[in-house]
Amino acid sequence: MAQKYQYELTYVISGVVKQNQVDDIVRKVNHLIESNDGDVLEVDEWGNQRLAYEIDRKRSGYYVNMYFQAPGPLIERLERELEVNDDVLRYLTLRMDAKMKRHYEKRKQRRAQEAEEESAEETDKDE
Amino acid sequence: MADQNDVDYEHLEYVDYKDTEFLEQFINNQGKILPRRVTGVPARVQRQITTAIKRARHLALLPYVSESIR
Repeated sequence: MAQKYQYELTYVISGVVKQNQVDDIVRKVNHLIESNDGDVLEVDEWGNQRLAYEIDRKRSGYYVNMYFQAPGPLIERLERELEVNDDVLRYLTLRMDAKMKRHYEKRKQRRAQEAEEESAEETDKDE
Repeated sequence: MADQNDVDYEHLEYVDYKDTEFLEQFINNQGKILPRRVTGVPARVQRQITTAIKRARHLALLPYVSESIR
């Protein structure tokens, strides 16, 4: 069995692409990982955001930030897939070292806490 | 930016490219990365900030050249 690493991947889909096509791309990426001995840990879609500069005349992009475990050789295939897709403007894959993993866990905890506080506030309002 | 010793950079373990609000502190109004003599952060942290800003630029989270001077 090949050794697996943890990765963080962020990619930007062109803002002019329709939502159902966006979903298709996200699903395709997830499927490629899962069908090749990888595990998707989290997919966080940031949604449509303004780009800091114009890319191929597009001013906005749909950001997808995800975390997964996979054997190394899969990354090459994954990046090739993203490269040939003209709707994907940018991508960035990082292999997570111990520090990044700790940072990720901390971030996750903080977000969970925030969500808890938010829901607590909402119940306050209901009363 | 200098003399901000109240912020604990020594224990900052990882600088995240996704945290654009934090990274914006370290670029000037042209979008350039500020030198360490201005930011005053430890060398280790400055290196991480530099990489993080470059990653953020690649993903169009931060500008290479700011809108105002283009």
